[in-house]
Amino acid sequence: MSWFIGIDIGSAYSKGVIIKDFELVASHVIISGANYRTSAEAIRTELIRQVNLSQDDIANTVATGAGADNVYFAGQKASDIVCTARGVHYVFPQARTVIDVASQSTKVIRLSGEGKVANFTVSEKCAGGSGRFIEVIANVLRIDLSDFGPLSARSKTPITFSTGCAVFGESEAITRISEGIPKEDIAAGVNKALASKISSLVKKLKLEEPCAICGGGALNIALVKTIEDVLNTTLLVPPNPQIVTALGAAIIATTSATSE
Amino acid sequence: MYFAGVDIGSTMTKVVLMDKSGNLLSTVKGPTGPEHRQLANEVMRQALEQASLQIDDISYIVATGYGRLNVPFADRQITELSCHARGVSSLFPSVRTAIDIGGQDAKCMKIDKGRLTNFVMNDKCAAGTGRFLEVTATALGIELDDMGDISLKATKKIQISNLCTIFAQQEVVALLSRGENLENIVAGLHGALASRVAALARRLGIEPDVVLTGGVAKNTGMVRAMKGSLGCELFVPEEPLLTGALGAAILASETYMKAVAKSEALPTKSRRLEKATFFS
Repeated sequence: MSWFIGIDIGSAYSKGVIIKDFELVASHVIISGANYRTSAEAIRTELIRQVNLSQDDIANTVATGAGADNVYFAGQKASDIVCTARGVHYVFPQARTVIDVASQSTKVIRLSGEGKVANFTVSEKCAGGSGRFIEVIANVLRIDLSDFGPLSARSKTPITFSTGCAVFGESEAITRISEGIPKEDIAAGVNKALASKISSLVKKLKLEEPCAICGGGALNIALVKTIEDVLNTTLLVPPNPQIVTALGAAIIATTSATSE
Repeated sequence: MYFAGVDIGSTMTKVVLMDKSGNLLSTVKGPTGPEHRQLANEVMRQALEQASLQIDDISYIVATGYGRLNVPFADRQITELSCHARGVSSLFPSVRTAIDIGGQDAKCMKIDKGRLTNFVMNDKCAAGTGRFLEVTATALGIELDDMGDISLKATKKIQISNLCTIFAQQEVVALLSRGENLENIVAGLHGALASRVAALARRLGIEPDVVLTGGVAKNTGMVRAMKGSLGCELFVPEEPLLTGALGAAILASETYMKAVAKSEALPTKSRRLEKATFFS
């Protein structure tokens, strides 16, 4: 009974991990879809299958994220801010600031030396300040989300969007395509616009280095590079940035079970 | 003597032709495409045909709207704010506050004795413009033009919790799949847009009479929601899309008549409706 699960149900993706003795043994990411309950079940089944366990082997499960309530089999729930902080502290104990770029929100968290949340700010009102902006434009450019970073990294002359709004940005991207502007310059322009919004959010909390970045947005290497340029810092990027919050949830599952 | 006003908006291009006494000879509306210039020619050609006039018969032409620089045959460009203010006050002389909700922006204008005295606008965020309804209508699988009638059948008020158009798009689909009535959702969308535009107008201070124009004013449900959010009576022109072009035509006539009175020569542009390209 030393296996612990963390499940993070986001608006776009659902993420899950199994850890044992604070070591990551399995992880799984799927699209959240319309039914979060089914997604949560699917993640648990796949995690257990990967490690060849049964449900009874799981000592505790912690759920987090926008859809945490749907993880009916979880022993407890935890706030996503706390889980992200815990997960990042586990991967990068030296990190003092975290940027979490998700599909529906961007969060900036300041960490204490022990990995506790010292302060945080969340931008969730506007798609133009979240990973959704990238999803919208990737759709217009007809490219895979995974190609967005490598494609825009090739741009030498990123376009400047006249708007921070993802809806108006979509129309603007269509106009630029019809004018014959290369896809990479449009993609790089989106990264530039998003990086500028994210950087203002970071500056609101004041950047304390070293700063880590996680969430699906951190998979976009060009976005990471652009934020580094704007903030004039080097960002710590976890090997699998999407599962950091789920990892934090699994760590909380472990510590709360052992402290009982 | 004849005068023309051409208003190239983000969604629709409008032309008004009038004689020197201010009588309307023809009005034409057409969807704005990416090729503004060709469209301006086409809409102008239709307006002339309806009025049985030639382009040479027009003494002065004013272009307005965000595409006003793409009207090759216009003699003068005037901002849409001035044109709207002029057009609205010609229809409602007692107007003090004019609210125009277009496909890509929303403007609130303070008007005193027919003159624009102050304004605020939102063209930064789609959530405060007609685009909010366009995007969510598509998500709900209904026609934009049907939204008004649908919303009038609502039985309860639904609060749309997301401000952002893109997040609201997701929210309405989720509401629908949860079994919420389409009518109630659409009414909720009107309420959300109305409260945002009303907040914009309040920055200027709302003084009666208040006139609502722009394509969104054709939506009866939206007019009702705006009345509710503003807490006052609203006047809507019969043709709420045309006030900008109407104002442009009136300003064309006034500019021309003033020059004639002073015996000044007004520079005018080539009157050819040639096919121009976008990048020329």
